[in-house]
Amino acid sequence: MSIEVLHPRSAEEALALTAGPPSAFIAGGTALHLQWERDPKAKPARLINLARLDGMREVECGPDEIRIGAMATLGALTRHAVLTESLPLLAAAIRSTAGPAVRNLATIGGNIAGRTGCLLPALLALDASLDLIEPRGPRWVPLAGWLAGTFSETALISGVIIPRNGQPTRWAHRKIGLRATFAPSLIGVAGILDVEGGRIVSARLAVGGGPVPPTRLLAAESMIAGGEITQLDWSSLHAAIREEVVAPDDKVRSGRYRRLVAANALVHGLGGTLPCRHASRTRALGKYAKRTPPALNRHSAGQRWHVRPDGPAKIAGSFPYLTDCLEPDMLVGRILRAGIPHARILVIDTSEAEAIPGVVAVVTHRDVPGRNAFGIVVQDQPAFCFDKIRYVGDAVAAVAAIDEKTAEKALSLIRVDYEPLPAVCDPEKALVGTASLVHASGNLQRQVTLSRGDVEKAFAGAAHVTEATYVTSRQMHGFMETEGGYAFVADDGTLTVAAGGQHGRRDRLQLSRILDMPEERIRVISSPTGGAFGGKDELTVQPALALLALKTGRKVRLKLSRAESVVAGVKRNPMTIRIRTACDRDGMLIANEVDVIADAGAYASLGPGVLETALEHACGPYIVPHVRTQGRLAYTNNGTCGAFRGFGANQMTYAVECQMDRLAAMAGLDPVTIRQRNMRRPQTPGYLGQKVAPTERLSAMLEAAEADPIWGLPQGPSPDGSEIVGIGMAMNYQGNGLGTLPPDPGGGALRLASDGAIEALFGTDEIGQGLLTAIQSAVAQEIGCSRDDVRPVTGDTGSTPESGSTTASRGTYIVWRVARDTAPDFTQKLLAAASGVLRRASPELAIAPGGIVERGSNSGELLMSFRQLAEALPAEELPCSATSFQFPKSDHFQSNARFIFAFGATLARVAVSRITGQTRVLDLHQHTAAGPMLDIAAYLGQIEGGSVQGLGYTLSEDAAMRGGHYLTCNLDTYAMPSIADAPQSMLVTALEELDAGDPFGPRGVGELGIGAVTAAIANAVADAIGYWPEQIPFDPEQILEAMGAGP
Amino acid sequence: MSISPGGMMTFTINGVRLEVEAPPETSLIDILREKLGLTAAKEACGIGRCGACNVLMNGNLVNACLLSAWQAEGAEIVSLEGLDAFPETRLLRTALAEENAFQCGYCAPGFTMALTALFREHPEACVNDIRAALEGNICRCTGYHSIIRGALAASKALAASASSGDIDGDHHPQQ
Repeated sequence: MSIEVLHPRSAEEALALTAGPPSAFIAGGTALHLQWERDPKAKPARLINLARLDGMREVECGPDEIRIGAMATLGALTRHAVLTESLPLLAAAIRSTAGPAVRNLATIGGNIAGRTGCLLPALLALDASLDLIEPRGPRWVPLAGWLAGTFSETALISGVIIPRNGQPTRWAHRKIGLRATFAPSLIGVAGILDVEGGRIVSARLAVGGGPVPPTRLLAAESMIAGGEITQLDWSSLHAAIREEVVAPDDKVRSGRYRRLVAANALVHGLGGTLPCRHASRTRALGKYAKRTPPALNRHSAGQRWHVRPDGPAKIAGSFPYLTDCLEPDMLVGRILRAGIPHARILVIDTSEAEAIPGVVAVVTHRDVPGRNAFGIVVQDQPAFCFDKIRYVGDAVAAVAAIDEKTAEKALSLIRVDYEPLPAVCDPEKALVGTASLVHASGNLQRQVTLSRGDVEKAFAGAAHVTEATYVTSRQMHGFMETEGGYAFVADDGTLTVAAGGQHGRRDRLQLSRILDMPEERIRVISSPTGGAFGGKDELTVQPALALLALKTGRKVRLKLSRAESVVAGVKRNPMTIRIRTACDRDGMLIANEVDVIADAGAYASLGPGVLETALEHACGPYIVPHVRTQGRLAYTNNGTCGAFRGFGANQMTYAVECQMDRLAAMAGLDPVTIRQRNMRRPQTPGYLGQKVAPTERLSAMLEAAEADPIWGLPQGPSPDGSEIVGIGMAMNYQGNGLGTLPPDPGGGALRLASDGAIEALFGTDEIGQGLLTAIQSAVAQEIGCSRDDVRPVTGDTGSTPESGSTTASRGTYIVWRVARDTAPDFTQKLLAAASGVLRRASPELAIAPGGIVERGSNSGELLMSFRQLAEALPAEELPCSATSFQFPKSDHFQSNARFIFAFGATLARVAVSRITGQTRVLDLHQHTAAGPMLDIAAYLGQIEGGSVQGLGYTLSEDAAMRGGHYLTCNLDTYAMPSIADAPQSMLVTALEELDAGDPFGPRGVGELGIGAVTAAIANAVADAIGYWPEQIPFDPEQILEAMGAGP
Repeated sequence: MSISPGGMMTFTINGVRLEVEAPPETSLIDILREKLGLTAAKEACGIGRCGACNVLMNGNLVNACLLSAWQAEGAEIVSLEGLDAFPETRLLRTALAEENAFQCGYCAPGFTMALTALFREHPEACVNDIRAALEGNICRCTGYHSIIRGALAASKALAASASSGDIDGDHHPQQ
């Protein structure tokens, strides 16, 4: 049933309407869609829209007070010059509320009426009052009194009155959230001190926001009011605020933390000193070069900077994503998720859903003709559950209906009876014998061990030993385009499934097993997609789309809402890494012992590979004679985990690189020296004893790190004392390709299309990384045509060959190798064809931008364009060259080992807040060595993008779970970095040269950018405050504690 | 008083006045994409937290996913498809494209719209203005710096063309 919306013209009319059926006043309405998403039943029958009330938006600036109409939008207030000048505290509070677009809808009245709004602390400190309209007439009431009273549903706020007491002598405002901006409030504070002749004539302090009741801090106020400002006992005030603030614990932060940061923010903001001990500086590295290394950018790239071919259409909004295909006769698909972490399925009854008009099909496990199991490594995940549920996002059924609303209704009518089972939520406990079984085969999905030397003896004889447990979070990929696409069955019975992915041919193989259908009859279109990062490597919506299209015989579209994507999608495997590392007196590493427990979630997906890769990095790029490592991947009833940029390497790099800095501190070495002493030597076997490719650049990266100008930037306490600045570094290396054990096919083709375009065909996907631009660069360079002559065709099993997966930093090599291998043959065929048409000997001809020219001629005149050549040839004679190969592999087959690596060093300068314990990244520098860059802009984009994704992973991102349920619901409760969290400066350098005779060309950098970011930031925090955070995202409460803050 | 009982709503989209059948609580993003086939604006969160669906309403930047049909009644909406009408658009698009500001591009429409709103108000926006104007837009691919560089280039180009009185960028400086 639709909602009825009423539009009264006057407040009296609006009040009268509340006498009718259950209704709600709506001002800007910015919270409505969020409320309805969380609780669809929360929709009232009627909404009373206040937007059309007369005279409610004005701002009146009188000599004694400012009156703001309740329906004035926050956006309008930020643009009001008098207001922002005369009430800077309010202006600051408004700027900290939501984002610019939301502020253009949200009203000041709405922010107040919700009673949790971020403006309340500021308005309380400003001693604001409200104009109310009640059925018996208008009433004026102080805001504080109104907040303390009971909520009267029949009152309307018509205006906010703020006294103008002149400029306050001192004021403070701070909102603390999970990230720098546009985040729900953890707590907000505001304070004003009016000081006359050195005496505090009035003090108004307030807190509020989120779960904190908005209130004035009257006891603290009275403690300081009337006193001399120079005599103010700030530490007593601090204690009084902590004592007075009422703040609960919740899922994100403790009440204690909230009270502490409220006191810190008010005391510091009003000019007091913070009760933190001074951090001791651990070191100062003085060898940095005064010159800046050549930074990658458009200017330095010169002629090598190209505009990516898909850029303009993406900016104009005309780029066709697969989820933009919205044809009128398409059916709309929806998937029913379990919503329960662990249960036996007793009954699935779809009859009621099938009976409603507009529902064309419902599919369940009963409709799966083939093997109801998929998974890239092991096939343990059902397309549709049949016997039991293993996580909240498990698919139980799917519907196809004529529209979204009907599909949604049908979902609600599918009856599933469950017998709940105990949820296995802790991966460590999952491996205890008494744990409930997630899979009948046992909860230990994979175990990886390695042992060499005599670890016990080595530890016993060590000069320095450091032991720590690093805990990493469940990072969400957060691709902006959620999983989705469309599917249909053509007249010849061929099934087409178009959904953003990372390996169409493997998706097709997996679908063929599920559908019991030959692969030749399935076409998978997997490009383009709006971001993936590993999260679209495994099947997502393809099985449901395929089964719905097959059952209905119609074209079906389906796109997950963000909320459903959170629940259903894979995440980064959380790991608990226990690590003990030892060195001798000189800082030479002698032993390393590592024990990893990784959470697989409900299904393996690529988790086994992630664990292997983590352990492949267990000693970093360092030589350690005595090693014992163990890794266990546990099934739980948590959300399924799998591939994510970095693939386990970044988790382990965090641990190892922090251990290096800790040992350096113990051995009295600087971070460069300890790494120099222990670095692996080029041309020696890799960590697993495998042969590795040439062009190792670790020493060069360490030199670049040492010479980085970041070391010369300000460090230590900030001028205002609110932050402590530190610098940290970490070494970085990332394997390319899937490794020795899995098949790792590569290939591609070039052909002259009938319209004269030189088509470059690749099965890999454009996921944002710049595949298309890289293809243009590589092919144009090898053939001698222009970039615009090249038309990349990607990610479609119907038209592109097997190129392998768009993962593991392997795409660059594939593109380069295909261009290099096919170009000679293709060029020769092009020239031969042109020779026939032009009736000139082939050796007289050459390829140039646009077409065929006379060899050696410098006139630039085309003898024939590619289009003319194509038009002159019969279709079957259009030149075509293809190649296929295996991605280069090492010689080590006892375990999975990488062969080709890219290298780097990451440096971070951070500011650790003494007020909040939060860390801000000021500068992030990445030095990289990955061979020749195919496309500089794409390369730079990968490193910069990886940097900030790593920053989020380190500081704010966690799709936390409790009891098998996600605490994260949508992007309001998942803090990906905003633009305000991005570092002030980023610098990327690239070392391009290869060793003489290195035949492996450019390395991929899809993962290099994220690899060492966490470790560099953690080491920078330790540099600032002498404490290494051992869990990500960092816990600011622990950091405050480590800084000696608080009671 | 008037009532939106469900049914018809009237608004102007990209200069064209339209009547659309939609229950009043339908969000504008659904009306644009599903009913009108205007797919430039994207839905990536549906609750106003990412900016991918940004449009202009009566000249102000808003989230189309937060706007219900009744709120857009009678409004003038400009979606990305309608930006050709603005003189700033050409220079902005060119600057963003030349900097390779975006990668997967799903956020690009929202950022472009937010920057359009900024430059219409402050053609000479500095880096702090640009950062502040983009606080409601999430990009997962780029780390934001390429977008900032593109926006700064746009600001520079707009300032140059404003001083030459040729805002839509057709002006060719004398050699």
